[in-house]
Amino acid sequence: MLARIAHELYWLGRNLARAEFTARAVEAVFQAELQGTSETTPGVSFGSGGLLAMFGDVHEGPRSGQALGGHALGQLTLDPERPGSMLASIERAREGARTVRDVISAEMWEAINTTALGLRGGGQPGWAAPAGPSLASQYVKERTALIWGVANRSMLRDEAKCFLDAGGLIEISDMVLRMLRVALPAGDSTPADGHALILLQAVGGFHAYLRAVTAPPNARPVARFLLFERAYPDSVAACVDSLHEVFTTADAGPRNSKPVLRVSRLAADLDFQRRALPDGAELTGICEQTQQELARIDQDVTERYFAGATTAGLRR
Amino acid sequence: MVSSGVQAPQVDGYRPQAPFLDELFEPDGTPRPTARALVEELRRLGPQGLIEAGRRRDAIFMQQGITFETSGGGGATHERPFPLDLVPRVLSGQEWRDIKRGLAQRIRALNHFVDDVYHAREIVREGLVPWRLVASCPQFARAVHGIRPPGGVYTHVAGCDLVRHSDGRWKVIEDNVRIPSGISYVLENRAAMARLVPELFASYRVRPVDHYPQLLLRALRSVAPSAESEATVVVWTPGPANAAYFEHAFLARQMGVELVEASDLVVRDDVLYMRTTRGLERAHAVYRRLDDDFVDPLEFRSDSLLGVPGLVRAYRAGSVAIANAFGTGVADDKAIYCFVPDMIRFYLGEEPILENVKTYLLSDPEVLEHVLEHLDQLVVKPTGESGGRGVMIGPHADEVELQKMRRVISTDPDRWIAQDLVRLSTVPTVGPDAVLQPRHVDLRPFAVFGERIDIVPGGLTRVALEDGSLIVNSSRGGGSKDTWVLEDGDDADRAGPPIADTQPPALPDLRYGEWTGQQQQQQQQEL
Repeated sequence: MLARIAHELYWLGRNLARAEFTARAVEAVFQAELQGTSETTPGVSFGSGGLLAMFGDVHEGPRSGQALGGHALGQLTLDPERPGSMLASIERAREGARTVRDVISAEMWEAINTTALGLRGGGQPGWAAPAGPSLASQYVKERTALIWGVANRSMLRDEAKCFLDAGGLIEISDMVLRMLRVALPAGDSTPADGHALILLQAVGGFHAYLRAVTAPPNARPVARFLLFERAYPDSVAACVDSLHEVFTTADAGPRNSKPVLRVSRLAADLDFQRRALPDGAELTGICEQTQQELARIDQDVTERYFAGATTAGLRR
Repeated sequence: MVSSGVQAPQVDGYRPQAPFLDELFEPDGTPRPTARALVEELRRLGPQGLIEAGRRRDAIFMQQGITFETSGGGGATHERPFPLDLVPRVLSGQEWRDIKRGLAQRIRALNHFVDDVYHAREIVREGLVPWRLVASCPQFARAVHGIRPPGGVYTHVAGCDLVRHSDGRWKVIEDNVRIPSGISYVLENRAAMARLVPELFASYRVRPVDHYPQLLLRALRSVAPSAESEATVVVWTPGPANAAYFEHAFLARQMGVELVEASDLVVRDDVLYMRTTRGLERAHAVYRRLDDDFVDPLEFRSDSLLGVPGLVRAYRAGSVAIANAFGTGVADDKAIYCFVPDMIRFYLGEEPILENVKTYLLSDPEVLEHVLEHLDQLVVKPTGESGGRGVMIGPHADEVELQKMRRVISTDPDRWIAQDLVRLSTVPTVGPDAVLQPRHVDLRPFAVFGERIDIVPGGLTRVALEDGSLIVNSSRGGGSKDTWVLEDGDDADRAGPPIADTQPPALPDLRYGEWTGQQQQQQQQEL
């Protein structure tokens, strides 16, 4: 297929996943900030400040309380000027989908387009209320689930689907890693790491965690789960595994393809870390390394498949 | 949104009903200090805002299936969304600390009492509690005599019903140490309030409640007789037809454990197993949500189809922990209730922190005579029942009802108790047309007893939706309210900074896909 089309699909996947995970995080922070602290020591810190930091922002203005919270969450939902907002992600996705309207099904285009239309101009009635960020997030969660559902049922399992999926997978792992880096207690200084329910809620993995892990949802086991649990589809390890699968399918010569090799090395590395690290080990280092490795993969992908289309976007 | 000013009288016109204590307003109609910001937000929201939020609430509850069934005319049942009132109830940190200490003390004493009743019976020998009353209690379980569960804990989950008298003092009106239900509504109410009316939270730091399932799981694990590192915990439900099935499924899901029915469980050689796709798997702790009567056809009711034969034997052998333990119903019997203050003094050597409501045991002929004379001023309750069934409120009854009740009581005085009428406090509640009206409330906090006693801040506030009604049970038309316990920075068990206070370092900026055609890509490559 055309390198340009593959590139568009890849970024379509990334933007959809970005919008969805922004929505999940906004919703979780919104709910948590309305309430006070829990009775147990919170070892993780993930409020609206953390949310902005996740998107590379240092926020200005008031430091504490709901004034900041509402402001930050508003920015991340419907602000068209902010490239990190859900609206901006969806608009980019719509722009991409418009370019590849011939490749994706009409149904899928419609699903994406409707989502963008529903978010524009302040969104739906009632979203101006203080509950707005939460309502908008639920809308985006529902709509992206629908879009992915349509994609999974209507698209041929060919290269096009592979690149769409690849974009989504790389974005999900990047978002999860960013969140962990922001939220995890640094160093070994916290002997009793507190509840990390909010991290699970921010990626939608609460239910899966409870079924998979018997340990209480404290920071370290939650981070391990989000990094290493292969049975959970949005964990970093599972995403990297699936990435390997889609690149192997899409690549003309997977045996000597740089991105495939790099992905399989990362998968093996994560597997090794999972076995080698003791349960309470500190994980922020691994998060950072993995994220950098994913950035390199992204670069390799661009060079190998997209005819070097966007090597210049990297700002690190 | 409706602006203030014109609509303001809806809140300003609110008048607490003397002689009842209103928890949000002073008797003259001005908001209490803790409620000032809340009242201001309610005023800003206006009736239109409340109606709108109410509509969304019903839609959300229907979507999430948080409903309960009411029987309409002709035996037809229909689903109604759970009646959550949009005005929260606010408790200060200090008030809550007192309640919490009082509850912990009371639950400890009740636990001692259960242990004592099935072992040495010291309290009976001391002459404090008549044995006749204990043994005649329908929940007294001879089958579990002499069994002491791990950690000596019987009442793992307890919910005492509290009411606030017009003098502001809290009183316990009823204990519940069998299978108290309602905690799922506490959690769902809070989640719904945060979605529906987040503006009400604006000036408050409300202590969260969503860690309850983790507290419960930790408590159950701590009492489970398991040599392995992690004990297998299950929630045992009578089945989907049960009225509280929503709560059973909710707790199992939130704890990440299996929800089992009797057919999933089997006892082999005094060990409890569950049937899985990989054969039998041991269960170490059972959070059971059905009555003693049904749990084991070999020991209790032999016609029970919901039970697991041999379970009591496994329990006796100590291979499985049951929460709450069998036979705990003896401690929350309405006739035993009047002895709880004595239990606290006897077992703990402390003075009770929370008072009882004055209660009359009718087995004494003199007391009976007094009660029969003053029946129109008292509340009469059957001892064996729960959920507000059979309760008669004297001042609300007509002469025919009173006469009938006099006859019933005189023939079988042991099965009844009488209590002074408590003037339940009121909280403003959204009535029809979104006008706030005072309605009576009670409070059921939930305590979890494992290695220690944990009590989730607040609890289930039930509210009588009818004007003047004192019956708050949801099975009889009551509603509920979100209960806020305010963070006041002075709590011993509070730890750590609020979440938004820490400022993490910003990560490198995200990159976004540059896709808008060759030209832009070229421009960027040239940068």
